[in-house]
Amino acid sequence: MRRIGITTTIPAEFIFAAGMAPVDLNNIFIVDAAPAGMLERAERDGLPRAVCGWIKGMYGAALAAGVESIIAVSDGDCSHTRSLIEILEMEGVTPVPFAYPYDRDYALLKRQMEKLAAYLNIGFTDAEEMMKRMDVIRKKLHRIDEMTWRENTVTGMENHLYLVSASDMDGDMDRFGRKVDAFLAEAAAREPFPRGIRLAYIGVPPIFTDIYQFLESRGARVVFNEVQRQFTFPFDTTDLVERYRRYTYPYDVFSRVHDIEAELARRDIDGVIHYVQSFCHHQMEDVVFRKHLAGIPLLTVEGDAPGPLDARTRLRIESFCEMLGGRRRKTAS
Amino acid sequence: MKTLGIDVGSRYVKLAGFDGDELLFTDKLDSIAFYTLCRHAGKVDISRLPVLSEKGFVRERVASTGYGRYNVKIEGSAVISEIKAHALGAVRQTGLSDFTLLDLGGQDTKVVRIRNGEVDDFVMNDKCAAGSGRYLENIATILGITPEELGRHTAKPLQLSATCAIFGESEVIGAVAEGAEIVHICAGANLSVAQRLVPLARRYASEKYVVTGGVAYNGGVLKFLGEKLGAELVVPRYPIFNGAIGCALEAAVVHA
Repeated sequence: MRRIGITTTIPAEFIFAAGMAPVDLNNIFIVDAAPAGMLERAERDGLPRAVCGWIKGMYGAALAAGVESIIAVSDGDCSHTRSLIEILEMEGVTPVPFAYPYDRDYALLKRQMEKLAAYLNIGFTDAEEMMKRMDVIRKKLHRIDEMTWRENTVTGMENHLYLVSASDMDGDMDRFGRKVDAFLAEAAAREPFPRGIRLAYIGVPPIFTDIYQFLESRGARVVFNEVQRQFTFPFDTTDLVERYRRYTYPYDVFSRVHDIEAELARRDIDGVIHYVQSFCHHQMEDVVFRKHLAGIPLLTVEGDAPGPLDARTRLRIESFCEMLGGRRRKTAS
Repeated sequence: MKTLGIDVGSRYVKLAGFDGDELLFTDKLDSIAFYTLCRHAGKVDISRLPVLSEKGFVRERVASTGYGRYNVKIEGSAVISEIKAHALGAVRQTGLSDFTLLDLGGQDTKVVRIRNGEVDDFVMNDKCAAGSGRYLENIATILGITPEELGRHTAKPLQLSATCAIFGESEVIGAVAEGAEIVHICAGANLSVAQRLVPLARRYASEKYVVTGGVAYNGGVLKFLGEKLGAELVVPRYPIFNGAIGCALEAAVVHA
């Protein structure tokens, strides 16, 4: 099956409908046995130190995975993506730009999808049919999410891994669907975890390899992964364009705030971890989150290169959990 | 009951020993010297510290904090986070219960909001020693003066833009080359640190700020900081032993 790279979540319905396999370059990078090597390769080839680790990782991943073409989100994600695909074009990779219109213009977004369909030689309705098949799996991912916060039988790490995989469904949706089924069966047989400290994780997925495990070692469990959940399209619309309009990540920060506020309220959350990537424009949004989520403790954690948490970040997370634990004891007494 | 608090910092290891409610001694060792002295048979054994036997301390009643806290394995000792240790120390040292704590250390800046004597929220500088004690130390070294001397100056501060602990050095060398007065460079360094701290400190605006850590000895930084925050700055008696004092208090609770 031909593989086509993607730089973040795009309407993967079109790729699957074309009989091709989407490959989320972020996933290739971070699950690699030696992700730091991909980053090093990018820096050796001249990408600056002060560029986001995900971009450099995707560069290394694209070359390692040997994809012929990449659907790159040129609007709605960071502008580094544009430069990335231009550099990769010199390596023989065909760039296919996809733009989320900032103002969520329905016609413009539909036009982007039609262009994608034309590039992939399929009809728009083929993608709509594919959406129904993918939705069967997405519904199961929603169930994993529900089991995370409502039934308390799924860990924050498991939630992260399954939900983040929704962007490319591991490049093989049938196999991915079976993997999800097996996990659901296993998790359903578990005893609920003790309540402990309940956290929300907002921001892009972490480049740290052990943040969820470390949190759990401090008695804290992530019961809401903001962006990963968005990758599963938890919206009740069967309109393909509308679905990608409601998807919050590529648009303004305020729609993300609304989504986060609603989830914090229903998931009984004690504190928020806002993850930011070094050199990423999303770092600025910390200002917005701190203002809008003022009623709940928020810790901003910054990651740069792949690997375990550094001593300083561990200390900060530890203190944060200690503080939240203290608050809980106080409320309980 | 005698209790000991250990703050295993990046530059120094600080000790505070109590007997009941009374502070018996404080001591400070270079971190490398501490590990050289105490590392034994693959472990860090604090009973090798001469000061402990001299003061008649038993090592069971110990709590530690700081970067090296997990290396310092002491049977039955408590390990607490720096935020908690500093909060406990500051409440004890000042007798205040509602304030914002600024712990200005070698490479960390911690800003902790204390309400009713307990940690309410905190923020730390992230992954960068800009505006830290290390920056001031580096500048003093470049100028060939002590950090204490550097801390005295506030007049006509030279505008220094690079608060990066490393790049700041070359900027200062450039200023010397251009003929700037040393005292004005000192004032500039103090001002730049204060400027760097203000946005963090304002996160938890307060009428009273308690300042601890080595930078609390720098009068220049404090003067600029007080002006910019428009608030009262309280420096407790033992600014650099604040975390160790907090640990000793926690040791008393844990081992009660």
